[in-house]
Amino acid sequence: MQLNTQFMWETFLHVLQGIPVTLIIVLVTLLFSVPFGFSMAVSRSGEGKIGRKIITAYVSLIRGTPVVLQILFLYSLLPTVLNYLIKEMMGLPYNVFRISPIFYACAVFTLNTTAVLSEVFRSALSTVNRGQMEAALSIGMTAAQAYFRIIIPQALVAALPNMCNATVGLLKSTSLAFMMTVKDVTAIARIDASFGYDYLEAYLVIFAVYIVLCSAVQGAFYLTEHMAAAYKKPVAS
Amino acid sequence: MRPFHPQYILEALPQLVLYLPVTVGIVIGTVFFGSLLGVLMAAGRIRRGRVGRAFANLYIYIIRCVPSIVLLFLVYYGLPELLIGFGININDAGKGFFVITTFSLLFAASMAEVFRSAYEAVDRGQREAAVSIGLTEFQAFYRIVLPQSVRVAIPNFTNALVNLMKEGSLAYTIGLIDIMGKGQLLIGQNHGSYSLEVYLALFILYWTLTLLIEKGADLSERRLWAEKGREGGVSQCS
Repeated sequence: MQLNTQFMWETFLHVLQGIPVTLIIVLVTLLFSVPFGFSMAVSRSGEGKIGRKIITAYVSLIRGTPVVLQILFLYSLLPTVLNYLIKEMMGLPYNVFRISPIFYACAVFTLNTTAVLSEVFRSALSTVNRGQMEAALSIGMTAAQAYFRIIIPQALVAALPNMCNATVGLLKSTSLAFMMTVKDVTAIARIDASFGYDYLEAYLVIFAVYIVLCSAVQGAFYLTEHMAAAYKKPVAS
Repeated sequence: MRPFHPQYILEALPQLVLYLPVTVGIVIGTVFFGSLLGVLMAAGRIRRGRVGRAFANLYIYIIRCVPSIVLLFLVYYGLPELLIGFGININDAGKGFFVITTFSLLFAASMAEVFRSAYEAVDRGQREAAVSIGLTEFQAFYRIVLPQSVRVAIPNFTNALVNLMKEGSLAYTIGLIDIMGKGQLLIGQNHGSYSLEVYLALFILYWTLTLLIEKGADLSERRLWAEKGREGGVSQCS
Protein backbone atom coordinates (compact mmCIF):
# COMPACT_ATOMS: atom_id res chain seq x y z
CA MET A 1 0.00 0.00 0.00
CA GLN A 2 1.48 3.30 -1.12
CA LEU A 3 0.15 6.55 0.28
CA ASN A 4 0.74 9.85 -1.44
CA THR A 5 2.08 11.70 1.62
CA GLN A 6 2.88 14.88 -0.30
CA PHE A 7 -0.76 15.08 -1.32
CA MET A 8 -1.91 14.33 2.22
CA TRP A 9 0.09 17.22 3.64
CA GLU A 10 -1.19 19.67 1.02
CA THR A 11 -4.76 18.48 1.53
CA PHE A 12 -4.38 18.80 5.26
CA LEU A 13 -3.34 22.45 4.91
CA HIS A 14 -6.15 23.02 2.46
CA VAL A 15 -8.73 21.29 4.67
CA LEU A 16 -7.83 23.58 7.57
CA GLN A 17 -9.61 26.35 5.64
CA GLY A 18 -12.79 24.33 5.86
CA ILE A 19 -12.74 24.04 9.65
CA PRO A 20 -14.21 27.52 10.25
CA VAL A 21 -17.09 26.67 7.90
CA THR A 22 -17.78 23.42 9.76
CA LEU A 23 -17.60 25.20 13.11
CA ILE A 24 -19.81 28.09 11.96
CA ILE A 25 -22.50 25.63 10.86
CA VAL A 26 -22.27 23.85 14.22
CA LEU A 27 -22.38 27.06 16.26
CA VAL A 28 -25.17 28.78 14.32
CA THR A 29 -27.21 25.59 14.43
CA LEU A 30 -26.76 25.32 18.20
CA LEU A 31 -27.54 29.01 18.63
CA PHE A 32 -30.99 28.44 17.12
CA SER A 33 -31.70 24.84 18.16
CA VAL A 34 -31.05 25.32 21.87
CA PRO A 35 -33.83 27.90 22.41
CA PHE A 36 -36.15 26.20 19.90
CA GLY A 37 -35.57 22.78 21.41
CA PHE A 38 -36.01 24.12 24.91
CA SER A 39 -39.31 25.84 24.16
CA MET A 40 -40.51 22.64 22.47
CA ALA A 41 -39.60 20.64 25.55
CA VAL A 42 -41.42 23.11 27.77
CA SER A 43 -44.55 23.26 25.62
CA ARG A 44 -44.58 19.46 25.35
CA SER A 45 -45.01 19.27 29.10
CA GLY A 46 -47.60 22.07 28.95
CA GLU A 47 -51.33 21.82 28.50
CA GLY A 48 -52.04 22.57 24.82
CA LYS A 49 -53.11 19.23 23.37
CA ILE A 50 -52.84 20.06 19.67
CA GLY A 51 -49.49 21.74 20.10
CA ARG A 52 -48.17 18.72 21.94
CA LYS A 53 -49.34 16.37 19.20
CA ILE A 54 -47.72 18.46 16.47
CA ILE A 55 -44.41 18.61 18.33
CA THR A 56 -44.48 14.87 19.05
CA ALA A 57 -45.11 14.13 15.36
CA TYR A 58 -42.34 16.53 14.31
CA VAL A 59 -39.81 14.96 16.66
CA SER A 60 -40.82 11.47 15.57
CA LEU A 61 -40.55 12.35 11.86
CA ILE A 62 -37.16 14.02 12.19
CA ARG A 63 -35.72 11.29 14.37
CA GLY A 64 -37.24 8.55 12.24
CA THR A 65 -35.73 9.54 8.91
CA PRO A 66 -32.13 9.84 7.66
CA VAL A 67 -30.40 13.23 7.82
CA VAL A 68 -29.22 12.80 4.27
CA LEU A 69 -32.83 12.52 3.11
CA GLN A 70 -33.77 15.65 5.04
CA ILE A 71 -30.86 17.47 3.41
CA LEU A 72 -31.75 16.37 -0.11
CA PHE A 73 -35.43 17.15 0.38
CA LEU A 74 -35.02 20.59 1.91
CA TYR A 75 -32.23 21.57 -0.43
CA SER A 76 -34.49 20.92 -3.40
CA LEU A 77 -37.51 22.50 -1.72
CA LEU A 78 -36.29 25.57 0.17
CA PRO A 79 -34.72 27.62 -2.65
CA THR A 80 -37.84 27.48 -4.84
CA VAL A 81 -40.16 28.19 -1.93
CA LEU A 82 -38.04 31.16 -0.86
CA ASN A 83 -37.89 32.39 -4.42
CA TYR A 84 -41.68 32.18 -4.66
CA LEU A 85 -42.17 33.97 -1.35
CA ILE A 86 -39.73 36.78 -2.03
CA LYS A 87 -40.23 37.37 -5.75
CA GLU A 88 -43.88 36.56 -6.36
CA MET A 89 -45.48 37.28 -3.02
CA MET A 90 -43.48 40.27 -1.84
CA GLY A 91 -42.16 41.45 -5.17
CA LEU A 92 -38.67 42.13 -3.85
CA PRO A 93 -35.92 42.18 -6.48
CA TYR A 94 -33.68 39.88 -4.45
CA ASN A 95 -32.04 36.92 -6.13
CA VAL A 96 -32.65 33.98 -3.80
CA PHE A 97 -30.30 31.73 -5.72
CA ARG A 98 -27.36 33.81 -4.57
CA ILE A 99 -27.95 32.96 -0.91
CA SER A 100 -24.91 31.14 0.46
CA PRO A 101 -25.47 27.38 0.77
CA ILE A 102 -24.25 27.71 4.36
CA PHE A 103 -27.62 29.30 5.10
CA TYR A 104 -29.44 26.20 3.87
CA ALA A 105 -27.06 23.94 5.76
CA CYS A 106 -27.79 25.84 8.98
CA ALA A 107 -31.52 25.67 8.30
CA VAL A 108 -31.54 21.91 7.72
CA PHE A 109 -29.32 21.12 10.68
CA THR A 110 -31.34 23.45 12.92
CA LEU A 111 -34.54 21.60 12.03
CA ASN A 112 -32.79 18.33 12.80
CA THR A 113 -30.94 19.30 15.96
CA THR A 114 -33.98 21.05 17.43
CA ALA A 115 -35.83 17.74 17.43
CA VAL A 116 -32.89 15.94 19.05
CA LEU A 117 -32.36 18.63 21.67
CA SER A 118 -36.05 18.86 22.55
CA GLU A 119 -35.85 15.23 23.68
CA VAL A 120 -32.65 15.95 25.60
CA PHE A 121 -34.24 18.91 27.39
CA ARG A 122 -37.46 17.05 28.04
CA SER A 123 -35.67 14.28 29.92
CA ALA A 124 -33.47 16.84 31.69
CA LEU A 125 -36.48 18.86 32.84
CA SER A 126 -38.12 15.72 34.16
CA THR A 127 -35.16 15.21 36.51
CA VAL A 128 -36.09 18.39 38.39
CA ASN A 129 -38.84 17.82 40.89
CA ARG A 130 -42.17 19.52 40.06
CA GLY A 131 -42.34 20.80 43.60
CA GLN A 132 -39.43 23.13 42.88
CA MET A 133 -41.45 24.96 40.26
CA GLU A 134 -44.44 25.18 42.57
CA ALA A 135 -42.29 26.39 45.43
CA ALA A 136 -40.71 29.06 43.24
CA LEU A 137 -44.11 30.26 42.04
CA SER A 138 -45.53 30.21 45.57
CA ILE A 139 -42.90 32.63 46.84
CA GLY A 140 -43.89 35.06 44.10
CA MET A 141 -41.41 34.38 41.29
CA THR A 142 -42.70 34.63 37.74
CA ALA A 143 -42.56 31.49 35.59
CA ALA A 144 -39.59 32.93 33.69
CA GLN A 145 -37.72 33.68 36.91
CA ALA A 146 -38.47 30.20 38.20
CA TYR A 147 -37.08 28.66 35.02
CA PHE A 148 -33.96 30.77 34.82
CA ARG A 149 -33.04 30.81 38.51
CA ILE A 150 -34.30 27.46 39.78
CA ILE A 151 -35.09 24.90 37.10
CA ILE A 152 -32.53 25.49 34.33
CA PRO A 153 -29.40 25.53 36.52
CA GLN A 154 -30.35 22.09 37.84
CA ALA A 155 -31.65 20.62 34.58
CA LEU A 156 -28.51 21.81 32.78
CA VAL A 157 -26.35 19.40 34.76
CA ALA A 158 -28.50 16.49 33.60
CA ALA A 159 -28.72 17.83 30.04
CA LEU A 160 -25.04 18.50 29.33
CA PRO A 161 -23.83 14.93 28.65
CA ASN A 162 -26.67 14.40 26.18
CA MET A 163 -26.12 17.85 24.68
CA CYS A 164 -22.53 16.79 24.12
CA ASN A 165 -23.76 13.69 22.28
CA ALA A 166 -26.12 15.82 20.20
CA THR A 167 -23.32 18.25 19.32
CA VAL A 168 -20.97 15.44 18.34
CA GLY A 169 -23.77 14.03 16.19
CA LEU A 170 -24.30 17.43 14.64
CA LEU A 171 -20.58 17.84 13.94
CA LYS A 172 -20.59 14.48 12.19
CA SER A 173 -23.73 15.34 10.19
CA THR A 174 -22.10 18.51 8.88
CA SER A 175 -19.86 16.21 6.83
CA LEU A 176 -22.95 15.80 4.62
CA ALA A 177 -23.10 19.54 3.92
CA PHE A 178 -21.11 18.96 0.72
CA MET A 179 -24.40 17.76 -0.77
CA MET A 180 -25.55 21.38 -0.49
CA THR A 181 -22.32 22.56 -2.16
CA VAL A 182 -21.00 23.94 1.14
CA LYS A 183 -17.20 24.00 1.13
CA ASP A 184 -16.63 22.41 4.51
CA VAL A 185 -13.86 20.02 5.59
CA THR A 186 -15.32 17.04 3.72
CA ALA A 187 -16.11 18.97 0.56
CA ILE A 188 -12.58 20.40 0.26
CA ALA A 189 -11.03 16.98 0.74
CA ARG A 190 -13.34 15.43 -1.85
CA ILE A 191 -12.57 18.12 -4.39
CA ASP A 192 -8.82 17.81 -3.85
CA ALA A 193 -9.04 14.04 -4.14
CA SER A 194 -10.99 14.14 -7.38
CA PHE A 195 -8.05 15.57 -9.37
CA GLY A 196 -5.79 12.58 -8.90
CA TYR A 197 -8.18 9.94 -7.50
CA ASP A 198 -6.41 10.16 -4.13
CA TYR A 199 -9.61 9.46 -2.24
CA LEU A 200 -8.05 7.16 0.32
CA GLU A 201 -5.47 9.77 1.33
CA ALA A 202 -8.05 12.55 1.44
CA TYR A 203 -10.40 10.56 3.65
CA LEU A 204 -7.54 9.57 5.95
CA VAL A 205 -6.78 13.27 6.41
CA ILE A 206 -10.32 14.24 7.32
CA PHE A 207 -10.64 11.12 9.46
CA ALA A 208 -7.91 12.64 11.63
CA VAL A 209 -9.39 16.15 11.41
CA TYR A 210 -12.78 14.95 12.63
CA ILE A 211 -11.22 13.11 15.56
CA VAL A 212 -9.47 16.34 16.60
CA LEU A 213 -12.62 18.46 16.17
CA CYS A 214 -14.72 15.94 18.05
CA SER A 215 -12.19 15.79 20.89
CA ALA A 216 -12.30 19.58 21.10
CA VAL A 217 -16.10 19.55 21.37
CA GLN A 218 -15.99 16.88 24.05
CA GLY A 219 -13.30 18.77 25.93
CA ALA A 220 -15.36 21.96 25.85
CA PHE A 221 -18.39 20.11 27.21
CA TYR A 222 -16.28 18.44 29.88
CA LEU A 223 -15.20 21.86 31.16
CA THR A 224 -18.76 23.22 31.00
CA GLU A 225 -20.06 20.23 32.94
CA HIS A 226 -17.58 20.95 35.70
CA MET A 227 -18.64 24.59 35.87
CA ALA A 228 -22.34 23.78 35.74
CA ALA A 229 -22.07 21.20 38.50
CA ALA A 230 -20.12 23.58 40.73
CA TYR A 231 -23.20 24.27 42.86
CA LYS A 232 -23.31 20.60 43.84
CA LYS A 233 -19.92 20.79 45.53
CA PRO A 234 -19.93 21.56 49.23
CA VAL A 235 -19.04 25.18 49.93
CA ALA A 236 -15.64 25.47 51.56
CA SER A 237 -15.87 27.32 54.81
CA MET B 1 -43.16 27.71 -7.97
CA ARG B 2 -42.11 24.29 -9.20
CA PRO B 3 -44.89 21.87 -10.14
CA PHE B 4 -45.80 19.31 -7.53
CA HIS B 5 -47.58 16.06 -8.36
CA PRO B 6 -48.72 14.23 -5.24
CA GLN B 7 -49.86 11.27 -7.31
CA TYR B 8 -46.23 10.59 -8.28
CA ILE B 9 -45.54 9.74 -4.63
CA LEU B 10 -47.95 6.82 -5.01
CA GLU B 11 -46.35 5.94 -8.32
CA ALA B 12 -42.85 5.92 -6.84
CA LEU B 13 -43.68 4.01 -3.67
CA PRO B 14 -44.15 0.53 -5.24
CA GLN B 15 -40.93 0.93 -7.25
CA LEU B 16 -39.01 1.87 -4.09
CA VAL B 17 -40.57 -0.90 -2.02
CA LEU B 18 -39.00 -3.43 -4.41
CA TYR B 19 -35.61 -2.43 -2.98
CA LEU B 20 -36.69 -2.68 0.64
CA PRO B 21 -35.10 -6.15 0.93
CA VAL B 22 -31.70 -4.57 0.16
CA THR B 23 -32.10 -1.96 2.89
CA VAL B 24 -33.33 -4.55 5.38
CA GLY B 25 -30.67 -7.05 4.29
CA ILE B 26 -27.89 -4.53 4.94
CA VAL B 27 -29.36 -3.87 8.39
CA ILE B 28 -29.61 -7.58 9.24
CA GLY B 29 -26.11 -8.35 7.98
CA THR B 30 -24.72 -5.42 9.94
CA VAL B 31 -26.56 -6.36 13.11
CA PHE B 32 -25.09 -9.87 12.87
CA PHE B 33 -21.44 -8.94 12.26
CA GLY B 34 -21.59 -5.72 14.26
CA SER B 35 -22.98 -7.51 17.30
CA LEU B 36 -20.24 -10.15 17.14
CA LEU B 37 -17.58 -7.44 17.10
CA GLY B 38 -19.54 -5.50 19.73
CA VAL B 39 -19.51 -8.48 22.10
CA LEU B 40 -15.73 -8.66 21.77
CA MET B 41 -15.41 -4.93 22.51
CA ALA B 42 -17.79 -5.14 25.47
CA ALA B 43 -15.83 -8.10 26.82
CA GLY B 44 -12.66 -6.03 26.39
CA ARG B 45 -14.14 -3.30 28.54
CA ILE B 46 -15.63 -5.57 31.19
CA ARG B 47 -12.65 -7.89 31.65
CA ARG B 48 -9.68 -6.92 33.71
CA GLY B 49 -7.07 -7.06 30.94
CA ARG B 50 -5.52 -3.62 30.50
CA VAL B 51 -4.57 -3.97 26.84
CA GLY B 52 -8.00 -5.23 25.85
CA ARG B 53 -9.71 -2.44 27.71
CA ALA B 54 -7.44 0.28 26.31
CA PHE B 55 -7.97 -1.04 22.81
CA ALA B 56 -11.76 -1.23 23.20
CA ASN B 57 -11.91 2.27 24.69
CA LEU B 58 -9.79 3.71 21.90
CA TYR B 59 -11.88 1.95 19.27
CA ILE B 60 -15.15 3.23 20.69
CA TYR B 61 -13.76 6.74 21.06
CA ILE B 62 -12.54 6.91 17.47
CA ILE B 63 -15.70 5.47 15.96
CA ARG B 64 -17.80 7.90 17.98
CA CYS B 65 -15.87 10.79 16.43
CA VAL B 66 -15.91 9.81 12.79
CA PRO B 67 -18.79 10.62 10.43
CA SER B 68 -20.25 7.51 8.82
CA ILE B 69 -19.69 8.83 5.35
CA VAL B 70 -15.97 9.30 6.02
CA LEU B 71 -15.65 5.76 7.34
CA LEU B 72 -17.70 4.42 4.43
CA PHE B 73 -15.35 5.95 1.88
CA LEU B 74 -12.27 4.96 3.88
CA VAL B 75 -13.41 1.35 3.83
CA TYR B 76 -14.50 1.56 0.20
CA TYR B 77 -11.18 2.94 -1.03
CA GLY B 78 -8.86 1.75 1.70
CA LEU B 79 -9.81 -1.85 2.45
CA PRO B 80 -8.98 -3.22 -1.03
CA GLU B 81 -5.58 -1.47 -0.94
CA LEU B 82 -4.89 -2.76 2.55
CA LEU B 83 -5.86 -6.33 1.73
CA ILE B 84 -3.85 -6.36 -1.51
CA GLY B 85 -0.83 -5.84 0.71
CA PHE B 86 -1.69 -9.25 2.19
CA GLY B 87 -2.28 -10.74 -1.24
CA ILE B 88 -6.07 -10.72 -1.01
CA ASN B 89 -7.93 -9.15 -3.89
CA ILE B 90 -11.41 -7.88 -3.02
CA ASN B 91 -11.74 -5.36 -5.82
CA ASP B 92 -14.52 -7.45 -7.28
CA ALA B 93 -16.46 -7.65 -4.04
CA GLY B 94 -19.98 -6.25 -4.21
CA LYS B 95 -20.91 -2.85 -2.86
CA GLY B 96 -22.92 -4.59 -0.15
CA PHE B 97 -19.70 -6.06 1.25
CA PHE B 98 -18.19 -2.61 1.83
CA VAL B 99 -21.43 -1.24 3.23
CA ILE B 100 -21.86 -4.08 5.70
CA THR B 101 -18.18 -3.89 6.71
CA THR B 102 -18.42 -0.13 7.37
CA PHE B 103 -21.63 -0.24 9.29
CA SER B 104 -20.53 -3.29 11.27
CA LEU B 105 -17.52 -1.28 12.43
CA LEU B 106 -19.84 1.58 13.43
CA PHE B 107 -22.53 -0.61 14.92
CA ALA B 108 -20.01 -2.58 16.98
CA ALA B 109 -19.06 0.56 18.89
CA SER B 110 -22.66 1.33 19.88
CA MET B 111 -23.37 -2.33 20.63
CA ALA B 112 -20.30 -2.55 22.86
CA GLU B 113 -21.83 0.18 25.00
CA VAL B 114 -25.27 -1.44 24.89
CA PHE B 115 -23.90 -4.83 25.95
CA ARG B 116 -21.66 -3.40 28.64
CA SER B 117 -24.36 -1.29 30.28
CA ALA B 118 -26.84 -4.17 30.09
CA TYR B 119 -24.32 -6.58 31.63
CA GLU B 120 -23.43 -4.17 34.39
CA ALA B 121 -27.10 -3.46 35.13
CA VAL B 122 -27.47 -6.97 36.51
CA ASP B 123 -26.25 -7.12 40.08
CA ARG B 124 -22.93 -8.96 40.54
CA GLY B 125 -24.49 -10.87 43.39
CA GLN B 126 -26.72 -12.72 40.96
CA ARG B 127 -23.77 -14.32 39.22
CA GLU B 128 -22.09 -15.09 42.51
CA ALA B 129 -25.27 -16.64 43.89
CA ALA B 130 -25.68 -18.73 40.75
CA VAL B 131 -22.11 -19.98 40.91
CA SER B 132 -22.42 -20.67 44.64
CA ILE B 133 -25.32 -23.06 44.11
CA GLY B 134 -23.23 -25.06 41.67
CA LEU B 135 -23.93 -23.58 38.24
CA THR B 136 -20.93 -23.34 35.97
CA GLU B 137 -19.71 -19.91 34.91
CA PHE B 138 -21.34 -20.39 31.51
CA GLN B 139 -24.65 -21.58 33.00
CA ALA B 140 -24.70 -18.64 35.38
CA PHE B 141 -24.23 -16.25 32.47
CA TYR B 142 -26.58 -17.98 30.08
CA ARG B 143 -29.42 -18.77 32.47
CA ILE B 144 -29.26 -15.99 35.04
CA VAL B 145 -27.46 -12.88 33.80
CA LEU B 146 -28.29 -12.95 30.09
CA PRO B 147 -32.10 -13.11 30.33
CA GLN B 148 -32.10 -10.11 32.64
CA SER B 149 -29.58 -8.16 30.57
CA VAL B 150 -31.63 -8.59 27.42
CA ARG B 151 -34.55 -6.74 28.93
CA VAL B 152 -32.33 -3.85 29.97
CA ALA B 153 -30.63 -3.76 26.58
CA ILE B 154 -33.75 -3.44 24.45
CA PRO B 155 -34.27 0.37 24.52
CA ASN B 156 -30.61 1.11 23.75
CA PHE B 157 -30.49 -1.62 21.14
CA THR B 158 -33.57 -0.13 19.46
CA ASN B 159 -31.90 3.26 19.33
CA ALA B 160 -28.79 1.77 17.77
CA LEU B 161 -30.88 -0.18 15.28
CA VAL B 162 -32.88 2.87 14.17
CA ASN B 163 -29.66 4.86 13.81
CA LEU B 164 -28.12 2.08 11.77
CA MET B 165 -31.13 1.97 9.47
CA LYS B 166 -30.97 5.72 8.96
CA GLU B 167 -27.21 5.83 8.42
CA GLY B 168 -27.57 2.92 6.01
CA SER B 169 -29.16 5.36 3.58
CA LEU B 170 -25.65 6.71 2.95
CA ALA B 171 -24.82 3.50 1.12
CA TYR B 172 -26.12 5.05 -2.08
CA THR B 173 -23.08 7.37 -2.10
CA ILE B 174 -20.88 4.42 -3.08
CA GLY B 175 -23.48 3.19 -5.54
CA LEU B 176 -25.45 0.57 -3.63
CA ILE B 177 -29.03 0.41 -4.87
CA ASP B 178 -31.23 0.25 -1.79
CA ILE B 179 -34.43 2.28 -1.43
CA MET B 180 -32.40 5.49 -1.24
CA GLY B 181 -30.32 4.49 -4.25
CA LYS B 182 -33.41 3.57 -6.23
CA GLY B 183 -34.91 6.93 -5.32
CA GLN B 184 -31.86 8.68 -6.76
CA LEU B 185 -32.13 6.53 -9.90
CA LEU B 186 -35.80 7.46 -10.30
CA ILE B 187 -34.93 11.14 -10.02
CA GLY B 188 -32.16 10.64 -12.55
CA GLN B 189 -34.50 8.88 -14.97
CA ASN B 190 -36.84 11.84 -14.81
CA HIS B 191 -33.92 14.23 -15.39
CA GLY B 192 -34.20 15.73 -11.94
CA SER B 193 -37.91 16.34 -11.85
CA TYR B 194 -40.20 14.69 -9.33
CA SER B 195 -37.38 14.88 -6.80
CA LEU B 196 -39.65 16.23 -4.06
CA GLU B 197 -42.19 13.48 -4.67
CA VAL B 198 -39.56 10.75 -4.54
CA TYR B 199 -38.03 12.17 -1.37
CA LEU B 200 -41.48 12.31 0.23
CA ALA B 201 -42.04 8.67 -0.68
CA LEU B 202 -38.70 7.86 0.94
CA PHE B 203 -39.70 9.83 4.04
CA ILE B 204 -42.82 7.66 4.29
CA LEU B 205 -40.81 4.45 3.92
CA TYR B 206 -38.08 5.34 6.42
CA TRP B 207 -40.53 6.72 8.95
CA THR B 208 -42.65 3.57 8.69
CA LEU B 209 -39.57 1.40 9.18
CA THR B 210 -38.57 3.36 12.27
CA LEU B 211 -42.05 3.20 13.74
CA LEU B 212 -42.20 -0.55 13.07
CA ILE B 213 -38.85 -1.12 14.78
CA GLU B 214 -39.94 0.94 17.77
CA LYS B 215 -43.29 -0.84 17.95
CA GLY B 216 -41.59 -4.23 17.78
CA ALA B 217 -39.13 -3.27 20.49
CA ASP B 218 -41.96 -1.98 22.66
CA LEU B 219 -43.90 -5.21 22.30
CA SER B 220 -40.96 -7.50 23.00
CA GLU B 221 -39.91 -5.38 25.95
CA ARG B 222 -43.39 -5.58 27.41
CA ARG B 223 -43.53 -9.34 26.89
CA LEU B 224 -40.18 -9.86 28.56
CA TRP B 225 -41.08 -7.74 31.58
CA ALA B 226 -44.48 -9.44 31.78
CA GLU B 227 -42.79 -12.85 31.98
CA LYS B 228 -40.76 -11.53 34.82
CA GLY B 229 -43.92 -10.40 36.58
CA ARG B 230 -45.35 -13.90 36.34
CA GLU B 231 -42.23 -15.51 37.70
CA GLY B 232 -42.15 -12.96 40.47
CA GLY B 233 -39.50 -12.85 43.11
CA VAL B 234 -36.49 -11.44 41.28
CA SER B 235 -35.92 -7.82 42.18
CA GLN B 236 -35.84 -5.17 39.48
CA CYS B 237 -32.40 -5.09 37.96
CA SER B 238 -32.17 -1.63 36.47
